[in-house]
Amino acid sequence: MVEVNSVTKKYGKFKAVDDISFSVKDHEIMGFLGPNGAGKSTTMNMITGYIEPTSGKIIVNGYDISKSPKKAKIQIGYMPENVPLYNDLTVREFINYMAELKNVKRKERKDEVNKVIEETGLQDVQKKLIKKISRGYKQRVSMAGALVGNPDILILDEPTVGLDPKQITEIRSLIKKLGKSHTIILSSHILSEVSQICEKVIIINKGKILAIDTPENLEKQAQVENSIIITVEDKNKKMDTIGKKISDINSIELIKDNDDGTKQYLIVAKKESDIRKKLFEILPKEDITIFELKQSETTLEDAFLKVINSKEAEIKKEEKTNKKAKAEGKDEKKEEKDNTKTEAKQKAEAKTKVETKSNAKTETKPKANANSKTQTKPKAETKAKKQTVAKSKTDTKTNATKATKTSKKSTQKGGNK
Amino acid sequence: MWAITKKELKNYFLSPIGYVYIGIFLIACSLFFYLDIFQYLETDFSYMFGSSVTVLTFIVPLLTMRMFAEERKNGTEQLLLTSPKSITQIVLGKFLAAVVVVLISALLTLMHYAILAYFGKPDLATSLLSILGFSLLSISYVSFGMFASSITENQIIAGVISIGFFLISWFLPSIVTNASTFSLMYAFYGSFMNGTISIANTVLLISFTVMFIIFTIITLQKRKYVK
Repeated sequence: MVEVNSVTKKYGKFKAVDDISFSVKDHEIMGFLGPNGAGKSTTMNMITGYIEPTSGKIIVNGYDISKSPKKAKIQIGYMPENVPLYNDLTVREFINYMAELKNVKRKERKDEVNKVIEETGLQDVQKKLIKKISRGYKQRVSMAGALVGNPDILILDEPTVGLDPKQITEIRSLIKKLGKSHTIILSSHILSEVSQICEKVIIINKGKILAIDTPENLEKQAQVENSIIITVEDKNKKMDTIGKKISDINSIELIKDNDDGTKQYLIVAKKESDIRKKLFEILPKEDITIFELKQSETTLEDAFLKVINSKEAEIKKEEKTNKKAKAEGKDEKKEEKDNTKTEAKQKAEAKTKVETKSNAKTETKPKANANSKTQTKPKAETKAKKQTVAKSKTDTKTNATKATKTSKKSTQKGGNK
Repeated sequence: MWAITKKELKNYFLSPIGYVYIGIFLIACSLFFYLDIFQYLETDFSYMFGSSVTVLTFIVPLLTMRMFAEERKNGTEQLLLTSPKSITQIVLGKFLAAVVVVLISALLTLMHYAILAYFGKPDLATSLLSILGFSLLSISYVSFGMFASSITENQIIAGVISIGFFLISWFLPSIVTNASTFSLMYAFYGSFMNGTISIANTVLLISFTVMFIIFTIITLQKRKYVK
């Protein structure tokens, strides 16, 4: 069990990690997803006690990493980014040294080292110097270093970077196997990897957590649109009129004009409706021949990009309002009124923006996703608390609107499930 | 702690550094043994150290410059600092390993004593005392070298800082007379060389050593917050 409670890491004024909270349950594989410089490694370094958070608490199996580092660190096996190793040692010596560092008893050490070498498939190179082995093996040695001493929690920072496809699948299956008996936190920017291995995903960008959910749910969230790619032969050019005939269609867009007279269209329809049947019924009546019809699939990749883009737009909006508030700020009462107005406007704008982006014109259902609601709301509240008194009036408003916005969003998400 | 010491020692003697250190030191000692003792037909063993002390300025940084700088550059310090070992244990472990190398080289000078004893009658007590003083001085140098290594990730810079400091400690007393009270080298010259133990000088050497061990620990602990 790893608990991270509102942890912030600042470098000067720059916030590498900004007030993040999450917890990883026992025997859960948690994936950290985010673009480069999102704060993945910083977070992992803080969990392992390599760096100290500016504020916040990290509790590893009941031990606070800052207050009782020895007890906490012994629970953790860490495979850092860029696999740092002692090049002058042999593979076996290195693993043995790591076992010593982790206080594995002398009697058990040999067996433990043998076990780990076998587990990571290093038997063939165990007597070679680390500087002489290939990158893939180095990765495994680093993994072995994390595994030795049988720690409860494994923290793997980009465990498959730089491996060939065969090695990647090997490492992945190893991680999956280990996940049955260990708690694992791994980071990656390869989405397919995360969706394959992890039971839960945290999407992080610019030091902030954007989403915590299962990979399946995230994929579903991205699937706001119900889009169909269709290839047709349309002699009478009636394709544009189809939109009026089938009411569930939101838009029809030409993607490709093929040489053989066929055209490829992207049709976006309302989410709940399945228009494929209707298309098959109506198109032949209009003298349109269907060559191909397929539903476009959303992947975690889409979810990831969507979450990141929409949040970025939100943050920009927020910054703008803050700046405005500061620039205008003299008469507080007046300003407050103005702000509520502009914010309401902006809220509406942002909403429509997000929606038009995703082409989602679905009604928000009152059925709420309890999880995401509880995750977003308290966060917004604590944020609101932190605001200074002078700014509090305007800023809490911003945050409050943000909170409602996010909770509404999550309602929408919940509805999508 | 012993695990770290063991590994560091292995590192010193698997790589050429340990041999280079001991080798250069012994060559220098032999040279001064010849120049200072044989040439003048002296039987005072400590004369040899009088000159070979200067060599320490250049070879101790060789030993200490990589201690933390290399780990930091290679990222292996991540392995150390995330292990259940405390920073104090890590620092002491590494320090002890370097001290062992330094002590081996100091004890090897007994060889020169044996040669001298074959030809003349040197005083055993004063000779041992000079070896002791010399060891204390080397250890305090190691302590500073280790500190220098902990403040940078560049080995060369760590080495240059150490050499610079040792040079200042060597030459400053001849410029500012008061400084000799605080100079490590003069602490050694002042007492151990002439067969006496001065409490003030012993305390100076030991407290200097302890001080820079503590500085190293603090440096590494503080970096957790800045990094």
